[in-house]
Amino acid sequence: MNSGTAAMLETAEACAKCRCGCCKDQCPMYSEIVEESISPKGRNLLIRAVCGGVVEPDERTVRIAYSCLLCRRDEYDCSAKLKNAEAAEAFREYLVDKGIPPLKEHEPLIKSLENYGNPWQESRAARKRWARELKGRKAIPGKTKVLFYVGCTFALDRSLQDTPKALVRLMEHVNEDFGLMLEDEVCCGSTVKRIGQRALFERLREENETKIRGLGVETIVTACAGCYKTLKQDYPGLGEDVEILHSTEYMSRLVRSGKIKFRNAKMAVTYHDPCHLGRHAEVYDAPRAILRAVPGLKLIEMRNSREKARCCGGGAGVKTAYPELSGKAALRRLKEAERTGADAIVTTCPFCVQTLGAAAEANSSKIRVIELSVFLDELVIPTS
Amino acid sequence: MNESDHEELRRELVSLLGEFKVLWNKSDLLPYTKDTYRIRFEDDHRYFPDFAVLPETTQEVQGIVGIAARRKIPLIPKGGGSNRTGMLVPIHGGILVDTIKMKRVVEVDKPNLCVTVQPGITLKELADCLEDYGLWLTQEQGSLKIATVGGAISTSGFSRFHQKYGVIADRVMSLEVVLADGSVLRTGPKVLYTSTGYRLHQLFIAAEGTLGIITEATLRVEPLPEARDVVLAFYDDFWGANDAAQRLMASGVVFSGAEAYEGHGMDKLGAPEDKTSLIYVIFHGTRGEVEAESAFVKKIVEGTHGVLAKHDVAMTFLDTYTEQWCGARALTGFEDVITTYVPMERMKEFYDKLWNEIAPKYGLEPLPGEKYGLDVGRYRMVGGRYWLPKGERAWERYQEAVREISVLATSFGGSIQSCHGVGIQHRENITLEYSDVALDTMRNIKKVLDPDNIMNPGKKIPSKKRVP
Repeated sequence: MNSGTAAMLETAEACAKCRCGCCKDQCPMYSEIVEESISPKGRNLLIRAVCGGVVEPDERTVRIAYSCLLCRRDEYDCSAKLKNAEAAEAFREYLVDKGIPPLKEHEPLIKSLENYGNPWQESRAARKRWARELKGRKAIPGKTKVLFYVGCTFALDRSLQDTPKALVRLMEHVNEDFGLMLEDEVCCGSTVKRIGQRALFERLREENETKIRGLGVETIVTACAGCYKTLKQDYPGLGEDVEILHSTEYMSRLVRSGKIKFRNAKMAVTYHDPCHLGRHAEVYDAPRAILRAVPGLKLIEMRNSREKARCCGGGAGVKTAYPELSGKAALRRLKEAERTGADAIVTTCPFCVQTLGAAAEANSSKIRVIELSVFLDELVIPTS
Repeated sequence: MNESDHEELRRELVSLLGEFKVLWNKSDLLPYTKDTYRIRFEDDHRYFPDFAVLPETTQEVQGIVGIAARRKIPLIPKGGGSNRTGMLVPIHGGILVDTIKMKRVVEVDKPNLCVTVQPGITLKELADCLEDYGLWLTQEQGSLKIATVGGAISTSGFSRFHQKYGVIADRVMSLEVVLADGSVLRTGPKVLYTSTGYRLHQLFIAAEGTLGIITEATLRVEPLPEARDVVLAFYDDFWGANDAAQRLMASGVVFSGAEAYEGHGMDKLGAPEDKTSLIYVIFHGTRGEVEAESAFVKKIVEGTHGVLAKHDVAMTFLDTYTEQWCGARALTGFEDVITTYVPMERMKEFYDKLWNEIAPKYGLEPLPGEKYGLDVGRYRMVGGRYWLPKGERAWERYQEAVREISVLATSFGGSIQSCHGVGIQHRENITLEYSDVALDTMRNIKKVLDPDNIMNPGKKIPSKKRVP
């Protein structure tokens, strides 16, 4: 038994002894499906029964295993702080190890990652298309100090490419010595790790880490909350050798040092904490500090914010496998944002922008969904 | 149930409810094998229901009951599932009727201060909804995030604001119940007080799903209070806090609820090092009322040598106190809890016998520093958390200990359970609390409403008369 399985069983055992079920209260998947088994508690009971030989894994087992956003919202409600998301992720690995095939909805993204190093079935070369107008920005081994690690979704989803472009403009604005990996960049492996495909994750991690280390950069900046969590927490030792910053941490430093200033924005926004940035990495203050630095801008918190923020529904392979549920979870979060009366939801994760944006569009919401770098790009006061 | 009967029943349920509201796969049924009661350790996966169904309407519940009645199959109605006495354990298999999808708020009647809801809405969901109308449910307990209105009524659940606002049993105005023959009973008009008819809704309070399935409840609610406050004070030991509790009760001052207990984490609340126990007293009302009441209680604290907590700490404590319930068993490892109702003048005697005689005799081990707890006021719940006996005949010794605690509580004129019901844990023990005539009356009521004994059979009422 590996350490992940042992920790998973320990969590499941502790939960089975308690059985309070408070994890259900704000669980985004339970809220939509409303079945006892689709909750951290239900999953823990299943883990225990499957590992104990009481239940033979079948398609219903797989449904329960994969109906989790790994958002960790439940930990806020659990005084024992049981690591239910870690247990759920380990359970997926356990099922994969037992030879249970992946969900058919996940097969294309797995194949795409195997073949192209991204989950979006795009060629490796497609990764640099967003940056075709940039010249001389390829990171140079031994010379470039800051690597802007773009991530698959910002690089390949055309509707999201404003974010890397905005961040590049911001970095140029402050004369940052930064570079990009462009077509050499490989997926951080977050998605496959979250759906239990450990072997493929390790392959991607190794390729990526070798390339990153080969550049010899001092700092990695990424705007993707998923990449940030993965590079920082799932690449053992990388964070000790290279400083890894989320774009919000990077930008809040610029704000603090006075290197960037913003023009007046007479509007109200609410900030949606992405799970991977908030609960997983505890970055709550940096994005808020940036927003508070915008004169005239009113920041209104949602009923559930920071540690209590509800997931947008886009994480851990759920959007791919269960798009309808993901959409419902996004709508619930959107409604919460609408209740604040804000003009826009600002967030900092490509999946949150995608899912909340799609929910806003589908429901003709008046609230705008915007990524933080893009929002700031409109407000930065250019240097003379 | 044999395979062909199972398949036939499956088809019938699916045809009634659709595929998504009928569960029969083991993976889906695992959460229904038991509630939070400690059944025999090796029986953890023994009791699977044959089916779990997730109705959304009264008509669907009616259909399910109709099918079960025709086939004489047990029905186990379920709310949030936090029960501690085994009332949800499907000991005879059957169909578990999970009401958690019945979450609709049917009507908010603000002028008449009442709300009508389906039974599966949680206390927290309902409280959040009412807040938007400027109304207040007044029912708050540790399990509020999962406890449903139907479940709270069916167990006569607790509320920490019991003193001023009562528990849910005091707030039910009318119920809609699907009876065992499939008929729909409206217990009476949606009013709090009437002198017409038998007060049928009272029958279903604490009935544990043995008389029917609640499908709608009308509850009295209150306007959101203008002000609230809490007085939190620390004491050297529980008996110091209890002294304040007794004076509080004798004073006649109005408070929403209060609790005195020995417990962990006093240092985090800013208590001086030598303090092991606390009392907190909660107030709701107009600003003037709350100020006067809390000032009065502070004098009681002063007179009993308590140390007041800082006000901001006390308010945070008030806001977060119920959160401690969630995950508590995983955090502290305690395995069961005493929630007996003991007359105040016998409380010391009860605790002495409990911890000095019964616990060592059977191997119950109290959680260090959590031996004493008292809900102060008319509720008078006396509690304590413990670990179960270990070693040989561990489960039997646990049952024997529970029995002896029940004998003790009832011999003092109290009650075995103030808010967790009977389930299977206390099924035989309630003969200590009720006379043969009372038990026969209960059996007769059950027989009239559920002649084939399909509603949660094997729970609540002992099937045979007490052996002399």
